[in-house]
Amino acid sequence: MALQPAALAEADATAESSGGPNHLWLRLLRSPLTLSGLVIVLIFVVLAVIAPWVSPYDPSAVSDSTLVGPSASHWLGTTQNGQDILSQMLYGARASMFVGIGAAVLTTLLSVLVGVTAGYIGGIGDELLSLLANVFLVLPSLPLTIILAAYLPHSGSLGIILVITVTGWAWGARVLRAQTLSLRKRDFVEAARATGERTWRIILKDILPNQVAVIAASFLGTVTGAILTQASLAFLGLADVTQWSWGTILYWAQTGSALLTGAWWWFVPAGLAIAVLGTALSLVNFGIDEFINPRLRQAGIGTKKAQRGQVSAKRVRRVKRRGPAVRRPAAAPFTQDSTDVVLDVRNLRVEYVGEGGRTPAVSDVSFTLRRGEVLGIAGESGSGKSTLAYAITRLHKPPAEISQGEIHYTKPDGSTVDVLAMDDTELREFRWEELSIVFQSAMHALNPVLRIGAQIEDVIVAHRPGMNAPERAARVIELLGIVGIPADRANSYPHELSGGMRQRAMIAVGLALDPEIIVMDEPTTALDVVIQRQIIEKIMELKDRLGFSVVFITHDLSLLIELSDTIAVMYGGKVVEMAAADDFYRRPQHPYSRGLLASFPTLGGPKRELTGIAGSPPDLRRLPSGCAFRPRCPHAFDACAAQVPQLYRIGAPGGGSSLAACLLHTDASPDQAADPAADPASDPKTDTAAAAGAGDPHSETTPNELATGETR
Amino acid sequence: MRTLLRKIAFYLLTAWAAISLNFLIPRIMPGNPADNLINQFHGKLSPSAVHALRVLFGQSNQNLWQQYVSYWHSVFTGNFGISYAYYPSKVSTVLGQSMYWTLILVTICTVLGFIIGTVLGMLAGWKRGSWLDSLVPITTFLSSIPYFWFAIIMVYLFAITFKWFPLSGGYALDQHIGLNSGFIGSAINYAVLPAVTITIASIGGWLIGMRNMMVTTLSEDYVRLAEAKGLSKRRVMYTYAARNAMLPSLSGFAMSLGFVIGGSIVTEVVFNYPGIGSVLFKAAQAADYPLMSAIFLLITVLVLVANLIADIAYVFLDPRTRES
Repeated sequence: MALQPAALAEADATAESSGGPNHLWLRLLRSPLTLSGLVIVLIFVVLAVIAPWVSPYDPSAVSDSTLVGPSASHWLGTTQNGQDILSQMLYGARASMFVGIGAAVLTTLLSVLVGVTAGYIGGIGDELLSLLANVFLVLPSLPLTIILAAYLPHSGSLGIILVITVTGWAWGARVLRAQTLSLRKRDFVEAARATGERTWRIILKDILPNQVAVIAASFLGTVTGAILTQASLAFLGLADVTQWSWGTILYWAQTGSALLTGAWWWFVPAGLAIAVLGTALSLVNFGIDEFINPRLRQAGIGTKKAQRGQVSAKRVRRVKRRGPAVRRPAAAPFTQDSTDVVLDVRNLRVEYVGEGGRTPAVSDVSFTLRRGEVLGIAGESGSGKSTLAYAITRLHKPPAEISQGEIHYTKPDGSTVDVLAMDDTELREFRWEELSIVFQSAMHALNPVLRIGAQIEDVIVAHRPGMNAPERAARVIELLGIVGIPADRANSYPHELSGGMRQRAMIAVGLALDPEIIVMDEPTTALDVVIQRQIIEKIMELKDRLGFSVVFITHDLSLLIELSDTIAVMYGGKVVEMAAADDFYRRPQHPYSRGLLASFPTLGGPKRELTGIAGSPPDLRRLPSGCAFRPRCPHAFDACAAQVPQLYRIGAPGGGSSLAACLLHTDASPDQAADPAADPASDPKTDTAAAAGAGDPHSETTPNELATGETR
Repeated sequence: MRTLLRKIAFYLLTAWAAISLNFLIPRIMPGNPADNLINQFHGKLSPSAVHALRVLFGQSNQNLWQQYVSYWHSVFTGNFGISYAYYPSKVSTVLGQSMYWTLILVTICTVLGFIIGTVLGMLAGWKRGSWLDSLVPITTFLSSIPYFWFAIIMVYLFAITFKWFPLSGGYALDQHIGLNSGFIGSAINYAVLPAVTITIASIGGWLIGMRNMMVTTLSEDYVRLAEAKGLSKRRVMYTYAARNAMLPSLSGFAMSLGFVIGGSIVTEVVFNYPGIGSVLFKAAQAADYPLMSAIFLLITVLVLVANLIADIAYVFLDPRTRES
């Protein structure tokens, strides 16, 4: 779930709410299929209404021209008795539509009544009503309908409507009950209850309006079902066969041996009409489905389009085949002057391509990750940090697209590959072997129907075809041991583990192939503070022991300062500051970073007021001109609106150096390459940083004091 | 295990409800169908048959409870009285002759329809946005067609126009029913058209449901993780996406099954197939209430058994339901 662009979803929501609910429904009409469905349904309704005025003949009137095919005087031919089939069809539409709509109205009323009552009252009443619905759901409805209709001999439309209602209400009731149940727990309903609002008002005002889509879907489904049922009953001779409906036409065609005499015009139109109307209703229903469930609008991942869409720029492939795997040398502690780059990301731009144009979620991001380094990426939700993480591994899905930039990965043997130029096979080999990911929620990221062991093992099967089953099993147990999970848990399913254990299992999956890089996307956010600490300590211990590099993504700045070597802060899809963790903490350069640091408490050190940052994260579709942070920035001045700030290199007296994208630092040297690995001593400008850092109230606290000062 | 026991208890309850409903319907319906029926036979019914009919409609000296008890007795002994449409055959004999035809035909068609529909739905969801999307309107159209009308078209095209398959019936009349190759071959030949009709008409529902679930599942984290792991496309599609996407399909089996069986019954009429559907049609024409209610009970029990099987399969496929 969390994978989709949170920022876009939020932007969507705001755009919709500003457009009002009426506009929301109009979106349904954008789909050509839904629109044509709606038009066809309307045509049928109109024809049914005007049938008596447009029918060329009395549908029951017999004539001498028997069994003639379609002609100018009888467009759809005649029956055995010389009756005009077109007139029968038009009158038939009346009866069929009457039964369809009448049954749908009654059925939907009953469904809403039972479903909402059951869901709202809860308790024993709910149990009984749901049981009743479930019983009616498994009873085969057509045989029951046939029995009921048979006992009402020659029942007219009304009888059939009643029978269909009795047998058909259960499905809608079950769906509506489930929805009511979840709506009832929502805050706005709880609030209305707490203020003593009357029950029926709550149901009418707060609950039913939120169920309109489901009710509409169930209504349209019942129309189709009822027309089909009526046709079946009439065809079997269980309805009043003297009243014209599409089913009755087919009944007379069958008894009149239309098949044997080859009078196709007699039986084709009625069935076709039912099928076309049913299809049209289903198409409208699909529109509603996609409306309820927006995921249905996305393209699948198996299409060529989806694969191609990942990288829009054409690329020349540089490295053809992978050489023999060279294991990296024993883990060496990371130092800030290391130049051993593993991952080099340059000018990366990721855009969401939509109807309204392209929205950049990540723009012009550059960074390098060095062997053994922990790079922390911080930012509010919607800042583009997760999109960045998925783009690095090319896991982003349409409509997201990398429109610009380069990603280079350097193997332990020193050869470099262009990640964006890899084909499917190369990409598959690269993934997990060189770079693995730990997702935010292990609950959602582990396959619920596979055992933990199997989910580790299938990586090994895919990447180490040479390993046999006992070796794989041994490796699974070894990996579980590394993260502190008892070996017998390999046979557990994800839902059988505790939250912390699931997250550790997730890490074990990530370690399976001993990758060079692990991207961790908020790996501890869903856990409580104590477990969070255990997991972080485990990650750091493993990093020191196994020597992989980490890209750690979180909004928890205090955590990041503690465990990262380097920190990058993202805002509005851009990196606004990048610095060694220590420098960042002591001398934050960008006003946004300072705001972030000022918005969470420290455990030790002097008391200070928490200030936070006024305003809210920017809408990526409507970024302000110039600096995206400008509207919230206390230091903004005129130039900020006109000029998009570059990253400026700012030296520090202690020898460190930061990069910050803020016009306050224009006198520092622009640094588009954004390479913190460059020798900081070569940068002569040191005074600006000192000036900017001065006056920072907590520049003397140390990172460790923040250790447990989690903000969220 | 507890899940299964609860399911079995639920189906027993449903069976009880259906059987009791069957007892109640003739007693609460307006009019006097018993007399109508007796009059239709113009005194040709034996006194015991007349008595049985009056009992069926609750016109006996016993009170309601006693009637209910003796009704249950007859349900368990399989004694549903005498059929009027097939007078003087017993209802149980008529059903015994016809149920296997339907059972075999509908079982094969349901399983085939489920498998084909689910596989196509999986592919359509996996490759959403490709040409496979055109399957959706096509199958929507196919599943909106009334089964019996589709059957009429099939008969018109393949039995009457092209004469590829026999027109109606379940086997060639010169064959003797039994386990001999001539009969089996003929039965298969006669079953092709009905089977194709029911299967094609039922694919659509499964396909659309599976496709939508597949699309929903594809945006789950575990599918993205599977991709990130560099697993093969097949493994991601089958073990991660489809495996999870088909679970709702299975739990929605009940509703779809009722639909398929209902459609099959009417289809049999068109093919004059010697199964329960044709019998029900004749029973309805002749107002043969004992036969109709027995058929209703039989179909209900079969549907409940099929649902139980689907539920057992579900428990095997979804470990989360196996909570101890």
